[in-house]
Parts: sequence; structure tokens; C-alpha cells
Amino acid sequence: MMTLKRYLLCFSLIIVTSSFPVFAQLEEADSLPAPRGAELSLFADENELNCLRCHGQMVYTLTDSLAGMTRKQLMSEHNLVVPEMFYNSVHWSFSCLDCHSEGFKTFPHSIEARFETSWGCIDCHGNDPNYAQYRFEEIDAEYQKSVHYTATEGLITCWNCHDPHYYNPLARQTKGGREYILRSNEMCLRCHSNAEVMGLINDENVEIVLPKHEWLPDVDRHLEAVRCIDCHTRMNDSVLVAHEVMPADSAVRGCADCHSQNSILMGTLYKYAAMESRDEKGFVNGVILRNDSYVIGANRSKFISFTGLLIIGMTLAIALMHTFFRIIIKPKQHINE
Amino acid sequence: MSKNFYHYPVWVRLWHFSNAVLCLFLIVTGFSMLYSDPDNALVVKFQRAVAIHNVCGVLLTISYTAFLFGNLFTPNGKNYLIRLKGLGDRLWKQGYYYAYGYFKGEEAPFPVTSDRKFNPLQQVSYVGVMYFAIPMLFVTGWALMFPEFILKKFLGLSGIFLTDQFHVILGFLVVIFLFIHIYVSTMGKSPLSNFRSIITGWQESH
Repeated sequence: MMTLKRYLLCFSLIIVTSSFPVFAQLEEADSLPAPRGAELSLFADENELNCLRCHGQMVYTLTDSLAGMTRKQLMSEHNLVVPEMFYNSVHWSFSCLDCHSEGFKTFPHSIEARFETSWGCIDCHGNDPNYAQYRFEEIDAEYQKSVHYTATEGLITCWNCHDPHYYNPLARQTKGGREYILRSNEMCLRCHSNAEVMGLINDENVEIVLPKHEWLPDVDRHLEAVRCIDCHTRMNDSVLVAHEVMPADSAVRGCADCHSQNSILMGTLYKYAAMESRDEKGFVNGVILRNDSYVIGANRSKFISFTGLLIIGMTLAIALMHTFFRIIIKPKQHINE
Repeated sequence: MSKNFYHYPVWVRLWHFSNAVLCLFLIVTGFSMLYSDPDNALVVKFQRAVAIHNVCGVLLTISYTAFLFGNLFTPNGKNYLIRLKGLGDRLWKQGYYYAYGYFKGEEAPFPVTSDRKFNPLQQVSYVGVMYFAIPMLFVTGWALMFPEFILKKFLGLSGIFLTDQFHVILGFLVVIFLFIHIYVSTMGKSPLSNFRSIITGWQESH
């Protein structure tokens, strides 16, 4: 008796207290340091002197000290780093030369410097317990299996989508929802809606991307509400953003793949939407009252829905039969006297 | 000659009332969510059904916690302790009575007494619902509100999908229990006497 009481007491306490750790975890997600700005960077002057006085400007001045000539030239957009955006990125506190070769200190830059190996995200963030929650190792493994890597022999790197000079997680820059989706898709469309860029990689692939999606019912709504990667990557709900971009013909095309039962994609989106909604609107408003993470019929099993109704129907039929016999037989002791 | 027993103290009646109302809301909104499509709401519009279902689920957790504490610290809890010895026999006797003996006018094998509020079938089904189905509904329901705690995959299926299916199956069990519970309640001294009991607190033996 006492054992049972103790068991029930423990169980009720578990129910009541099980929600506490969740709130602690939510606060942790926002505890990453925010970007600071040029005034706080220890390397702002050094960066300006060595690099940004040319690479930080659209128009830079080229000087020939021997001939005493100067000339203004346009900086190629691929070599331009906008200082304000750099100092607002997550890498704001670094010196340019932390990542780039010392050879870049001299001008004209030496050929050895130009052949420097660009570091990828994994080179700094891999196996670092401070970044374990982002699972960079898993992201890197996914990227190496992605069509971005395999079809271009590694020509497309992390930097083509995530410029390290400007990188700031989208989730931190936007309020989530439609704005997040729009910004996420812009990242893809920078190349995939630009025939010139796509033509550099593959002559056959120059068709721009939007007309290819006209088969979708209510196409605008889909493109506003769904990230490109939701259909074009292999889903893995242990990394926040899936990186295994698949070839176009492997993309999700079946409505049921997203909107029906047993879909890992649905699970990922459900999880994402539920957590986003909670982070944005709080538990009461985001989870209980206005929880938009459910999709009608998403987790429906026709078998269970049908069997459930069938058993309920059978129960009612038995009750009706019992009632019928009660009326016909009128069991004596149960007649209200 | 029937006797009256005060089997339902005020807290049990209040809990039973809140439990009944919340379960009805949960069932109606649960069905609305399970069977609605974007154009046709079954009973309640989908998003409204989600909100009502969540609110009632949270309230039911609170009301259930009160029930657990009530059973722990008042004599009411002993009605839920099943004596396993001879249980099969007792269940058979009670089942036989409902299906056959009742119509022949036999005496109820386990009549209500001051010590016995539930017959063996009631006892087993109440324990099954209150100590298994309802707590598991809470676990799965709350897990769907905190999906980060759900296993990613289990046996190759999405953990969220499985959690949801388990929640639905348990929900069906509770609906089936509710129908049987209400029907069996009409088999008291008179069809309405048990309904009177849960309002007044006094139960008539028959």
C-alpha cells in the first residue's frame, strides 16, 4: 500500500515538474554573444590599414609610387568586403589575417597568397564543444554528399551560400516565419535565378528556377511558405538546417510527402514550427492557443481512424442490443418500484 | 430493501464533474482535428479545435493531479487497489452477470456496500483508464507540445508520427470507456439512480 502510494506520488510529481527543464533550455538558445561592431574590434585599425582601405570600398585608389601616378579603380564585387556588414557578422572580432595568408599584406598580392587554401566552417568549428549544438561535423558530412559538392568537384563551398565576412544566422536576423523563409530562399536564388551564374557551372542548367515550379498547386503560397531546402535536401532533423542538397530530379514532388502520415519532413517541420512558435509567442500563446505547427491530416493514419470508429460503433451496437433485451425481458429486480 | 451509502464525497464529485466536462471537450475537439479537412470542419474549426484541445489538456492535467493526490491521501484511493488473487474468476462472474444473469433476475455478484464502490470489471477498467490511458495521454500530449523530447526515429518511423498515433489510439480507448461507463451507469437501481448518485453523493445498493 505504502509502495503504491509512493509510486503514485512520484508519478504525479514527475508530471508537474517535467516541464521545468524546457524553459531553461529555451533561455540557453539566446545566450550566444551578439555581434558588436567596429568600435569594439581589437583589429579594426589593422584591418583598415592592411585590407579594407581597398577591399572595403567600391572604388579604390591604385598608386604607382615610382612613377608618382594614382588611378581610381572599381573593386570586383567578389573581392569586396563591406566593413559595416563585416563588423555586424559573427566573425566581427577577427583580424583579416587570422584567416587570410600573411602574403596579402604586400601589394600586388603574391601568387602564393592567391593560392592560399580557403578554410571551411569545419576547420574552425569542427569538434569544438562550444559549437557542438550546431553539429558542424554532421553538416560537413551532409555537404560532402550534396550535389553542390559532388557535381562541381567541390567548387561550391560553404562560402558560396554563407559568406564568412557577413555570416549571421538567419534565425537571429529575422523574426522567423515568412521573413525567414524569404531570406533562406534568397540564398538559393542568388545563383539559381541567375542564368549567367548557373551557366558558369553547367550549360544545360541555365534555365532559371521559378518556371520549373509551376506544377505546384497555389505556387506562390508554396514558395512563400516553404523553404527551397525543404524539398531539395535530404531531411535530417538532428541538424537545424539540412545541407544534403539533392539533384533536382530527386526533389520532393508528391503532396503526400509533406502533408501526410509518417513523414520525417513533417516531423522536422512540426518540431521547427512548434519550437519557433513557442520561442516567438511563449508557451501559452505559441503552443497552447495559436499553435500553427499542426497540418490537417499530417499524421493521420487511415487504418487507425477507421478501426477506432469501427470499435466505437461495435461498442454502441452491443449497448443497443443490451438495451433491447432489457426492454423485452424487463429483469424483475431492476424495475424501479 | 436497498441501502444508501455516501460513496462520493464533495471533492470526488467536483473532480468527476471537471473530468467529465474536460473529457467531452477533448473528445469533440480531438475528433474535429482527426477527421476535419481544410474545407469542412467536423464540429469545430481546425485551429479553434487545436486551441480548445490544448487548453482542456492542460486543465485536465491539473484536475488529474488533484485526483491523484485525493486518492493518495483519502480513503477513496483504496477503491482502485485491485486484489489479484481470484481476479479472473471475479471478472468472469461480473461479465456473466451483465450478459446473462442480469436478465434472469439474479442478484448482482458484487453489490455496492459500504466497503465496495466498484465491481471487479469497473475496478479494472477504472484503473486501466485512470492509471494507464490518461497518464499516457498526458505524456504523449505534452510531448507533442515539446517535440524536442520525442525520439527522432523509432523502427524507421518518425517519432512524432508514432507519438501522435499512440495519443489517438489512447483517445479512442477513452471514448470507448466513456460509452461503456455511461451505459453501465444506467444499470443501477433505476436507469437514472447512478446519475443522481454522482450529483448527490449517495449511492443506492441494489
